[in-house]
Amino acid sequence: MTTTGFLTDSTLCIGCKACEVACKEWNQIPGDGYAWSGMSYDNTRALGATTWRHVQFVEGKFTSRFGGSAPGQPPAWEFSSDVCKHCENAGCLEACPTGAIVRTEFGGVFVQPDVCNGCSYCVVSCPFGVVEKDLEDGRAFKCTFCYDRQKAGMETACAKACPTESIQFGKLDDLRDRAQVRVLELEARGIDDARIYDPVDSSVGGIHAFFLVRGDPRIYNLPPNPEVPTIYLKPGWKSAALGAGLLLLGTMAAFFSGGQPRSE
Amino acid sequence: MKTDDEKIPRLPDAASEERLLALREEAARSGAVAGPGIWPAGAPFPQAAIGTGAGPDYYGLPVLKKPQWTWEVPVYFFVGGAAGAAAVIAAVAGWAGAEKSLVRDARKIAAAGAMLSPPLLIADLGRPSRFYNMLRVFKPQSVMSMGAWTLSFFGPSSVATLVFELRHDLLPRFLRRALPAVTGSVAAATGTVMATYTGVLVGATVVPAWNQNVRILPIHFAASGLGSAVGMLELMGHDDNRPLLALGISAALVECAIGASIERSAHPADEPLKHGGSGWVVRMGGILSGPIAFLLRAGSSVAGKKTGRRLRRAAAICSVAGSLLSRAGWVAAGNASAQDNRIPLALPAKR
Amino acid sequence: MPGLGTSFGRGGATTAQQDLANSDAILIMGSSMAENHPVGFQWVMKARERGAKVIHVDPRFTRTSAAANYWLPLRAGSDIVFLGALIHHVVKDDRIFREYVVPYTNASTILRPDFRDTEDLAGLFSGWDPGQGKYDPESWLYRGSPSKGEKGGHQESSGGHAKDRGGEAAQLQFHQNDPTLQNPRCVYQVLKKHFARYTPEMVERVCGIPVAQFLAVAETFISASGPEKTAAICYAVGWTQHSTGVQIIRSAAILQLLLGNIGRPGGGIMALRGHASIQGSTDIPTLYDILPGYLPMPDAGLNTTREYLKMHRSETGWWANLDKYIVSLLKAYYGEAATANNDYGFGWLPRVTGDHSHLGYWLDMADGKMEGLFVMGQNPAVGAPNSRLERKALAKLKWLVVRDMVETETASFWSDSPEVKRGELRPEDIATEVFMMPAAGHVEKAGTFTNTQRLLQFHEKAIEPPGDARSESWFMVHLGRRLKAKAAAQPSPKNSALNALTWDYPTEGDLAEPRVLDVVREINGTTTADGRPVSGFADLKADGSTACGCWIYSGVYPAEGRNRASERQPQGEYGHGWGFAWPADRRILYNRASAKPDGAPWSERKKLVWWDEATQQWTGNDTPDFTKGKAPGYKPQANAGGDDAIAGDQPFIMHPDGVGWIWVASGLKDGPLPTHYEPLESPFTNALYPWQGTNPAAEKKERAGNAYAREHGDPRFPHVLTTYRLTEHHTAGGMSRQLPHLAELQPELFCEVSPQLGSSAGLTHGEWATIVTPRGAIEARVMVTSRMQDLEILGTTMHHVGLPYHFGYKGLVRGDVVNDLLAISEEPNVRIMESKALVCNVVPGRVASRAVAQLDAAAQAGSQAAAEMDEARS
Ligand SMILES: Nc1nc2c(c(=O)[nH]1)N[C@H]1C(S)=C(S)[C@@H](COP(=O)(O)OP(=O)(O)OC[C@H]3O[C@@H](n4cnc5c(=O)[nH]c(N)nc54)[C@H](O)[C@@H]3O)O[C@H]1N2
Ligand SMILES: Nc1nc2c(c(=O)[nH]1)N[C@H]1C(S)=C(S)[C@@H](COP(=O)(O)OP(=O)(O)OC[C@H]3O[C@@H](n4cnc5c(=O)[nH]c(N)nc54)[C@H](O)[C@@H]3O)O[C@H]1N2
Ligand code: SF4
Ligand code: SF4
Ligand code: SF4
Ligand code: SF4
Ligand code: SF4
Ligand SMILES: [Mo]
Repeated sequence: MTTTGFLTDSTLCIGCKACEVACKEWNQIPGDGYAWSGMSYDNTRALGATTWRHVQFVEGKFTSRFGGSAPGQPPAWEFSSDVCKHCENAGCLEACPTGAIVRTEFGGVFVQPDVCNGCSYCVVSCPFGVVEKDLEDGRAFKCTFCYDRQKAGMETACAKACPTESIQFGKLDDLRDRAQVRVLELEARGIDDARIYDPVDSSVGGIHAFFLVRGDPRIYNLPPNPEVPTIYLKPGWKSAALGAGLLLLGTMAAFFSGGQPRSE
Repeated sequence: MKTDDEKIPRLPDAASEERLLALREEAARSGAVAGPGIWPAGAPFPQAAIGTGAGPDYYGLPVLKKPQWTWEVPVYFFVGGAAGAAAVIAAVAGWAGAEKSLVRDARKIAAAGAMLSPPLLIADLGRPSRFYNMLRVFKPQSVMSMGAWTLSFFGPSSVATLVFELRHDLLPRFLRRALPAVTGSVAAATGTVMATYTGVLVGATVVPAWNQNVRILPIHFAASGLGSAVGMLELMGHDDNRPLLALGISAALVECAIGASIERSAHPADEPLKHGGSGWVVRMGGILSGPIAFLLRAGSSVAGKKTGRRLRRAAAICSVAGSLLSRAGWVAAGNASAQDNRIPLALPAKR
Repeated sequence: MPGLGTSFGRGGATTAQQDLANSDAILIMGSSMAENHPVGFQWVMKARERGAKVIHVDPRFTRTSAAANYWLPLRAGSDIVFLGALIHHVVKDDRIFREYVVPYTNASTILRPDFRDTEDLAGLFSGWDPGQGKYDPESWLYRGSPSKGEKGGHQESSGGHAKDRGGEAAQLQFHQNDPTLQNPRCVYQVLKKHFARYTPEMVERVCGIPVAQFLAVAETFISASGPEKTAAICYAVGWTQHSTGVQIIRSAAILQLLLGNIGRPGGGIMALRGHASIQGSTDIPTLYDILPGYLPMPDAGLNTTREYLKMHRSETGWWANLDKYIVSLLKAYYGEAATANNDYGFGWLPRVTGDHSHLGYWLDMADGKMEGLFVMGQNPAVGAPNSRLERKALAKLKWLVVRDMVETETASFWSDSPEVKRGELRPEDIATEVFMMPAAGHVEKAGTFTNTQRLLQFHEKAIEPPGDARSESWFMVHLGRRLKAKAAAQPSPKNSALNALTWDYPTEGDLAEPRVLDVVREINGTTTADGRPVSGFADLKADGSTACGCWIYSGVYPAEGRNRASERQPQGEYGHGWGFAWPADRRILYNRASAKPDGAPWSERKKLVWWDEATQQWTGNDTPDFTKGKAPGYKPQANAGGDDAIAGDQPFIMHPDGVGWIWVASGLKDGPLPTHYEPLESPFTNALYPWQGTNPAAEKKERAGNAYAREHGDPRFPHVLTTYRLTEHHTAGGMSRQLPHLAELQPELFCEVSPQLGSSAGLTHGEWATIVTPRGAIEARVMVTSRMQDLEILGTTMHHVGLPYHFGYKGLVRGDVVNDLLAISEEPNVRIMESKALVCNVVPGRVASRAVAQLDAAAQAGSQAAAEMDEARS
């Protein structure tokens, strides 16, 4: 099976939210409730148990009335469709004690709903704040990478719904090449602030759902150097061993150093 | 884009309310409102913005999800830690031929903790009926998996040890000494893990306040567990036992050192451990189980017999309470830390 | 759509959305295409990625602006100044596509000497009758073309949809030309003079767009036109819903004709229609003033087909076939009963006796002149202008039938409306009996959609409708059966039409559903002799030997068992083989213009349809919109009629003179050329015609409850209010506020204001504001955003207040009804309200009783003011 991926190209996104809705429809996810955020046109705010695709709305500074995405203009109103990153080294997958989270034959990270027992340890193990426990259902949920559709040879629901090919689904390697070409294209057109967000050099080791955004990725809440928490295991267990040793030896020292009870 | 904000005075709430009233009146009278009015509250209003000064982040929303653990989890940290340490004390005391009652009481604490832990953990699950999936796989890279397996050995062994102790008449004569010794040592061995692994459990996550202290946490939790175990034994009447006093003092000293190091740290990730509600709890826990417990115990060793005991009982209460508080405090700090997008986004600290 | 109809001949988008990908520049104006036609917008994005320049001109920075190369904020309601300035920019140094303009448009046509322009008459064209408050368009005719007497082709009461008036003034072929375009009375010179004052400086003062930016965009658009390049224009209701809506579209048509952008790949005017089949509902109309296929609905007084044809038929051009179409339609309606002797039952047709448009009859309803109403697939309690007045009017009915998939605000006006909450209506006093009939949704029934590019697409039924829900056709067929049964029982003259009506639709299945294909077949047309389907409208006859439900759709069911609307084998970039585009599957209209007069393509890059010498036929990538075998060199005889009168180099075959109309001699009620008038409510005086503030022919319908702000700036309503859509919702909300996955995306009504207005009016981002007009006061959350920008208009700073109009008092998410703020007004040609540019005030805080009191006071003052103004004028 070839590894599939997403290239989400924000320079082609029109903020129509078709992806977000298509995902909820296909996966029959409950709504997240009706709260107006005042954060531009984004009222679902973030990925979570009931939002697996999430379209972000970033309002920029309007330096001139000659707006739009004209070359040389700073992005004025940017949209980007966020999703589970399907990490090369996935914190959630590593942390899951039940083995509910698995790597599929398409290279995606998939939560098996029939195994998850809602321990919510994956939640604190995702460097991108994606997976979340649904407090009503009790289990953890996130983007399935449309495992069911992919198995049936279909593209994902969100990519299918995207009218402008902002969400590109395909072979991961091809997408990575395409992204490089795209950045050069945009530069040639005078849009020099387009970047690929794909933390290959971090401990996450790259992501299968990567992004092409304009400006500082942090504006889209994309962490500059995400870490897979397994990097903390070594130091952690080391000092655990130390602690355990101290506990045992200390206790022995206390009891064997002739410290017999006063009253005999 | 040039705004005429300059013209607009930044008014205190009361004053701006008055100004609002004036505006409404004016509007009602003439229809038109001749500016300037008040600042839009929170202006510049929440903006995920390129170069607007706000950010660079997404409306200040957290990058990470906050832990979804219920109150049972910190309580388990406390119970499991104490039980683990108690099992160690029981075993070592037994080997050292310490008085029977001490060994028995330690075994009681270990067994009680062992029996209390599973229900606490299961209660926290979103799907409690599927608790058994915890043993579905053996996964070294998952601390929670390791913890589950540890508990599944610690529990039976420490409970069995106590049962054998209480009803040794049930056992064939030649096993009456050996069997408890074996199970006891198993309990002690796993007990050391019980007392420490929870530090790795929280340390090896994406939560900055936790993983920042991944090296400290296991030792901190071990000391905290030991302190609480000693305290419990003292409260069960072993308040003139010298080895326990020694253990209590060393546990308190370790807590002091850890507390000091945290207080000294300037790392923004440690803020929730010192400020806000979580900071308060962590500090209380630290002070109780650290300096205060130490002073009381030190005092008891020089004071006369009667006051000595009293001081030790006070110290015991402090260690137990301190241990419970600091577990709760660390979890609370984790919640606060996950809500703060500054560490994951490497943003400058708040002014 | 008379704007396009009068200019080109047909009331539909001249192009297909797919073809936008071939454009070199796309001007999107009066539309937020990315938000409201996101799927079609993919081809705009494709064009942008291919290097085309996308320009969005909109008062607000929308999702479309974000995707565009250039965004220009203009003041709502000032579009004609902007477009007029573009026209001026083209003509002032003769930068027109001359080889196209001279043969293919009426630029060279000489006008009558007695015509007077708005420039001469201070904002009025010649022929204005202040008494009747309407134009006599006699003087607008071509020099030499005889008028049709009295009416000159115009009618008293009916709206402007009818076959878009292509040829009412008929004999427009008798006229003189000056191919050099020098004659001072030729259309081109008159046009030049008319727009002489529409300068970039005027744009800066009136629209608020700086000269430099206007010029830059003008250059971009103009330089993307010519033999090698084409530019397209997309619009929607940001243009139509104005008191000058039709003339705004006319301006675009003129510009595109001058630049040679009509009938060519990547060119054209893409009219973005609304509901999934709204184009279909004008083709087979839900309108009162036309019959299927844009045949005019006869006025009272037109008694025979002869009179009807004298009135509406043009001797030359395609509309010479009007007789065939009306007779075939009558045969479809009345079957056997329609014979030559009874004039094919022409007498049975209803007559137009007045303004029966939605707004017209709703005011009658408010005056208690109506008994009952069917509301099917509409939610006027939210969607209609001055919804407060409209809801109150519903209380005057005896009965109301609402067919919908959900209980809408309209169905529940008697219990949940703000009027009931405010005590203006008391349920116990309302006599209206309301019937709620559950409707089947489109997946629960078979049928066709006609989309925004005239494409008929058939859809099968996917699932059975739930419970008592039934399709429209079921309801109509069974209702018809019952009515006919009643009528048959009492054959009075009143019932003769009903008795004559053919209504033999077989039904099938447990639900006794009619077979939609039978209807498609009837629409396509059949021979009356053996009832076989006709292959297209060319087969239709005026002798009663054919019956056809809608001539422009003829050919959709060309042979027994073949339904082209359900075919799904697309070939080529225009997708021939997928669905059926009227007329005759032509995807790009007037495409003969994509070739030079001699029949060769203008350029290799822009070739579409051309004359093939070998086969002596027109061929190409699209179905030619021209008589297939008519050679480019063909010249008609002097006495030729119909299509034979159209020369081989005249692409606009619907028009009697075969050319595109820069000048509309006949068919519009407010002038032959577009002129800037201020919106009916505006903070500003008309900078171009100080003495003629607003469109003289527009109707304000001013009355208690429909009051207006004072003209020339009412201090009580200092801001310009505009309303629009959000991608997340659909129109009045019945289809979106009821669905969690959509409702959660935009859960509350908000108003968009600039930071400056936010601070000067004391508005707090995220808190509440009250928006007030002379009709109503509503509350909304405040969205302070720099996407709203203040403009310098005529030396003063002007603020826009933006409101999406989707909210109401039913559904999962609710909010005040924005249309309570609108006035019922009528654009003269299509009688549409002005929803895009009015005035308002915005005040911090939620609607207080004071706000409503203040409002009613304002309404009082407003109407007084208006009265004064009227006196002042007369
Ligand atoms: N998602 C979604 N899609 C829809 C609909 C929906 O409700 N939701 N409705 C459908 C229907 S029924 C229709 S008719 C179409 C309408 O499609 P559109 O016409 O695109 O819809 P609007 O948002 O009403 O208006 C478009 C733009 O006109 C701008 N505007 C306002 N006043 C002026 C003006 O004076 N001049 C200019 N140049 N622009 C102005 C507004 O700011 C707005 O951005 O959309 C259809 N598609
Ligand atoms: N302020 C302001 N007002 C406007 C506009 C604006 O831009 N600004 N735009 C105007 C425009 S362009 C339009 S089109 C109108 C739209 O206004 P309306 O047409 O009144 O509003 P809709 O919500 O589209 O009403 C359609 C109804 O039909 C129902 N429906 C859907 N499918 C079916 C079906 O198969 N059968 C039946 N029987 N019912 C069905 C839906 O549930 C919905 O309630 O609003 C107009 N009003
Ligand atoms: S983004 Fe988070 S949830 Fe998705 S794979 Fe990576 S770690 Fe797991
Ligand atoms: S919540 Fe479910 S998926 Fe997440 S770690 Fe626990 S068992 Fe695994
Ligand atoms: S891949 Fe499937 S599950 Fe994931 S976001 Fe897209 S639609 Fe949703
Ligand atoms: S569907 Fe495509 S264009 Fe629409 S919001 Fe999602 S990513 Fe953007
Ligand atoms: S809703 Fe239908 S008509 Fe509207 S954009 Fe989407 S596909 Fe096109
Ligand atoms: Mo519409």
